[in-house]
Amino acid sequence: MVVFQKGQRIKSASGGEIEILDFLGAGGQGAVYKVKYGGEELALKWFHSNKLYENERFCRNIENNIRQGAPADCFLWPVELTEFISGSFGYLMKLRPPQYREFSHFLLAKVHFADISALINAALGIINGFRALHNRGYSYQDLNDGNFFVDPKTGDVLICDNDNVTPYGENLGIMGKCRYMAPEVVTGGKRPDCHTDRFSLAVILYMILFLNHPLEGKKTMCPCLTEELEYRFYGESPVFVWDDYDDSNRPVRGVHVNEIRLWKIYPEFVRKAFGRAFSHEALVGGDIEHRVIEKEWQEIFMQLRDMTMKCSCGSDTFFDVNEQSCECINCGKTIFRPMVLKVKKRNIVLASGSKLYTDCIEPECDDFRKISGEVVGSITDPTVLGLKNLTDTEWEAELPNGSARKFTKGQVVKLGRGVKIKFGDVSAEIN
Amino acid sequence: MGIYDDVVEVTRRTMVLFFVVDTSGSMNGAKIGTVNSAIEEIVPELKDISEENADAMIKVATLTFSSGAKWINEPISAETFRWNYLNAQGVTDLGKAFDELNDKLSRNAYMGDISGSFAPVIFLMSDGEPTDNYMDSLEVLRENNWFKKAIKVAVAIGKDANKRVLSEFTGNPEAVITVHSPEALKKWIQFVSVTASQIGSRSANATGGQSAPVTGEQTEKPKSKINLTKQEEFIREIKAQEAAEAEDWDDFDDGGIQW
Repeated sequence: MVVFQKGQRIKSASGGEIEILDFLGAGGQGAVYKVKYGGEELALKWFHSNKLYENERFCRNIENNIRQGAPADCFLWPVELTEFISGSFGYLMKLRPPQYREFSHFLLAKVHFADISALINAALGIINGFRALHNRGYSYQDLNDGNFFVDPKTGDVLICDNDNVTPYGENLGIMGKCRYMAPEVVTGGKRPDCHTDRFSLAVILYMILFLNHPLEGKKTMCPCLTEELEYRFYGESPVFVWDDYDDSNRPVRGVHVNEIRLWKIYPEFVRKAFGRAFSHEALVGGDIEHRVIEKEWQEIFMQLRDMTMKCSCGSDTFFDVNEQSCECINCGKTIFRPMVLKVKKRNIVLASGSKLYTDCIEPECDDFRKISGEVVGSITDPTVLGLKNLTDTEWEAELPNGSARKFTKGQVVKLGRGVKIKFGDVSAEIN
Repeated sequence: MGIYDDVVEVTRRTMVLFFVVDTSGSMNGAKIGTVNSAIEEIVPELKDISEENADAMIKVATLTFSSGAKWINEPISAETFRWNYLNAQGVTDLGKAFDELNDKLSRNAYMGDISGSFAPVIFLMSDGEPTDNYMDSLEVLRENNWFKKAIKVAVAIGKDANKRVLSEFTGNPEAVITVHSPEALKKWIQFVSVTASQIGSRSANATGGQSAPVTGEQTEKPKSKINLTKQEEFIREIKAQEAAEAEDWDDFDDGGIQW
């Protein structure tokens, strides 16, 4: 087994010099080092030679992925291969910035999201990454809690371990990790592909929101989880803990604490989406190739974000725009209907601090990360709200009496019911 | 952030690593000294594995046997576990250790965590020959369901260790590792503790590129690696490690040793 020392130099496949700076960590498949290459600090993943089956083919696949480039910028994608040393090789990728934390640390409650908006951003980031990957005709195949790094403050996501990504229909032999593998992979009927990725994605999303596993409840409580039982619980006869027709696997009080508390807090359309994603049909029935797709998840989480607002207690809460009042999910205080921006068939609650993302105000756009506008409270009277333009495009606000006012980057107009706003080509109304 | 301030860690199962250590008189001196320092050094790594693992929490229990068998500690979480140095004297009552294991490998004893457990890892270290009637005790232990499902591994220390007995315990000669030097003893104790804990504390897994590759053209169904037991997976790791060591031995430069 090759182990590199600090200061050691190896060659990249193209002949460039890679200097080993530091050892970062080791996993089942290999070790990761911090290196210097072409004046830049990068990460080197080096595979243990005895973990590589058909390493030539494995290597060619990574080479191909390098040529294609990352599907989206959230992937810590291979950028260059190394030379072969003692029958093994590695690849270079970007380093993970320190503010990104391992996803498993969120599950272990060592790290918390700054607020629900950050949590929703993380979900959207993961969804969008896999959407980009699948749209390109690839599948990830080994989606599990060890593949993500998340910034708890912003919810920005990095997706790592992209070694097994292959074009549709191909598989390098990876099966995945049991609690995240689709039932048909566990039972051995199928190799991982984009449909099985979608099962894994739904598990990850459920765990982000509810911090428990969607298939672990009363039925899976057993003194000893043997391989046979794993096969049954996660492969042969999995049951969603909140299944509409089968209550045999409900969460257990005192054990599955988080999901019992958090499930009811989320709006019905979110719960229904998980109900569909983990229905009997989608788990082991006729719908295993028709699971909830990324685009649907994206719409669900955008809708959830649209209804998220800050309560005066400082916590994020959800406001159903069809109601006149709602209770804060954190402090229970009654919140009366805030102003709502109707735009592109969406309803976005406008409270101090609310952000308008580019996907809301540009036609045919799903850029959920870029902030185009922000709701701000007046300095003299914080109950008076205004919309601040953060784009280079000129916006126009029109009052009910017909008078209009244009506002550009950095400028604010006062918001009120009946005001219409033109964001360039997209029109919106506040009510 | 409000409602998420009070979340608790995701429900994890427990995986107990049992160190079963021969503390008979023949272990006295360098052997028990090496065992002590090797385990002491590996504890922080076990702690890391447990802390990073959202599937399972690792607990460690220690059982010694010499004239009789004695629990040094019941299962305690790797995060708080500290190794207590063992001393060696007395005979080799292996059967007594098997009795103790059988007694505690029960839901009513050490395996009763409410959120459930993974099958344990039982790691036996011995340098000699049992002095009691171990066979009857082993027969009983073999009927224990926890024992049946456990990852069982043994390190035979030196040439006097009875490897046949250790194989009877592990159920498999390949899960018995023989060591002849303090360096090898230390290395294998640490390898076994870490690797067995990793395998034991996770859900059945398939690792990158290891299993036979399948391509779009093949028609036969792939065999999920969940069909491979953890014991088998662990033996594969032992063999890979042995092979990796053999690889390092790649030249005849013997540094001037006289043959």
